[in-house]
Amino acid sequence: MNQILLITDGGSNVGVSPVVAAAQAYEEGIIVNVAGVIDEGSIGEYGASEIAEIARAGGGMSRIVSTKQLSQTVQMMTRQTVVGTIRQAVNQELRQVFGVSSVEALPPPKRAEVVRVMEDMGETTPLRVALLIDASASMKPKLLAVEEAIRDLSLSLQARSGESMAAVFHFPGEQESCVLDTPWTSSTERFGSLFGKLRMRGTTPTGPALLRAIEYFRESYGKIMTEDVHPASILKRDDTDGMRSGYVV
Amino acid sequence: MGCGVATSSEKQLSPGTILTGKWNGRKYKLERLLGVGANGQVYLATYGRAACAIKLGKDVSDLQAEANILASLDHREKKQPFLLDVDDAMLNGNQVPFYVMQYVPGTAVRTYLRKHGTEWFGVIGYRLLRRLSELHEAGWIFGDIKNDNILVSDYGRIALVDYGGMTASGRGIRQFTEIYDRGYWSAGSRTADPAYDWFSTAVLWIHALDEKRLLHLTRTLLPQNRDPGELLGLVKSHPSLKPLSGWFERALYGRFETTQEAAESWREAVHAASGAKSPSAPRVPGWMAGVFALSLLLCISLMAIWLFS
Repeated sequence: MNQILLITDGGSNVGVSPVVAAAQAYEEGIIVNVAGVIDEGSIGEYGASEIAEIARAGGGMSRIVSTKQLSQTVQMMTRQTVVGTIRQAVNQELRQVFGVSSVEALPPPKRAEVVRVMEDMGETTPLRVALLIDASASMKPKLLAVEEAIRDLSLSLQARSGESMAAVFHFPGEQESCVLDTPWTSSTERFGSLFGKLRMRGTTPTGPALLRAIEYFRESYGKIMTEDVHPASILKRDDTDGMRSGYVV
Repeated sequence: MGCGVATSSEKQLSPGTILTGKWNGRKYKLERLLGVGANGQVYLATYGRAACAIKLGKDVSDLQAEANILASLDHREKKQPFLLDVDDAMLNGNQVPFYVMQYVPGTAVRTYLRKHGTEWFGVIGYRLLRRLSELHEAGWIFGDIKNDNILVSDYGRIALVDYGGMTASGRGIRQFTEIYDRGYWSAGSRTADPAYDWFSTAVLWIHALDEKRLLHLTRTLLPQNRDPGELLGLVKSHPSLKPLSGWFERALYGRFETTQEAAESWREAVHAASGAKSPSAPRVPGWMAGVFALSLLLCISLMAIWLFS
């Protein structure tokens, strides 16, 4: 399961539209979530609507929060996205296997069984989160909170039973639109400081940065659409009360 | 993984609302709101004439996951079941999932101590650790230990409520509260193990007896300086906690072998601390003092008789 988490504080102003880039990510099996960070002042109407649009195009969710809430929000979005992705896959299975549209339509005893499977998947499915950090000048007072959120997220990722990886990019870079700071890692120790990576002048190339992150997923994991979540194989297991056992994917 | 962010934006249901189970057909009458958890509201309700507690949730999977845990706990513990029913009800045209639990009367730890005196914290703390020890032996970590989730009733009896954080040992803690979280204090991982609960238990007592300084500390400390040593600092400078600082050090740094050991160590520390408060020398039994006085009297009178004769 692949996610991009964009942390920014305003609108993009150069290169390809981030909304288009997010749509492309979603097309390639990567869900895009966006956290808009503000403290004083507002993010502006343009920035706010762009943030919402990126998430919508990327199949994810967006929140505009203060630095204080950033850690919790990042956690929540990552987790909700995992749960949501699994639910989608499971609901699809339910339609095919039981002819019901969702977990809600099952009677509680059967629901208990399915939820147990979903929980298992949520805990064990491989998860990769690429964090994309806006390091333009206005982000400076927020970087400490961003670092804390990254550390906090990596702690929770590390606690999962399944393989969990995170990578960190910041944008813009000196020459290029986006720089990889920390390649895939499952350790919490590897994330360096973001300070010193700030660009005091220049642009906010959110779109190109998103494209770079998609490319990185492709470089490291090849075609990702092929390895999606497969609940059916698990739904068959523990087949006790009337689940069709002969079902093959 | 997940942080306990209470979203109380949900509208409250008015007392007298009737929930009719879609699957099992039981009818419950809501009496009043007991509390708002991370993923639902808990009401006091009646089923016929019996009181019960009902958790109404927004998300069917979250709620069912909790019910699953309660069910497996009931199965394991073979006591009177705690989980009584799982069902859906229609409310204003929406299907709302709910589950029914035994009603546990009581107040949150801090409120109880304020009302009945802090001297109760020793026995409450021991009972909490004993309860955790039972859970841990069954392979479960409670996860979300905090003031609101521990209810105390008459004579310091305790009950754990809100099992939303309960996690199978070895997995990622399902739900936690930041200031009670081991990861937040850079004191270890968020993987469920007994030490995770020991840590939160230690924070619980600091929170219960010294809330002001704890909250001040969390507000002012930079993230990179969060460290269990800071919490231990609070313990060592608090009159009621200081005598137990040995226990707190082991709890905050995960230095017990088992929760059973943590409980025994707590009991001994509390015992020693309460002994230290009344520094009278080993008491002399009354009869012994009496005999001593009598013998003194006898001795003096014998001396007098000897002198005058």
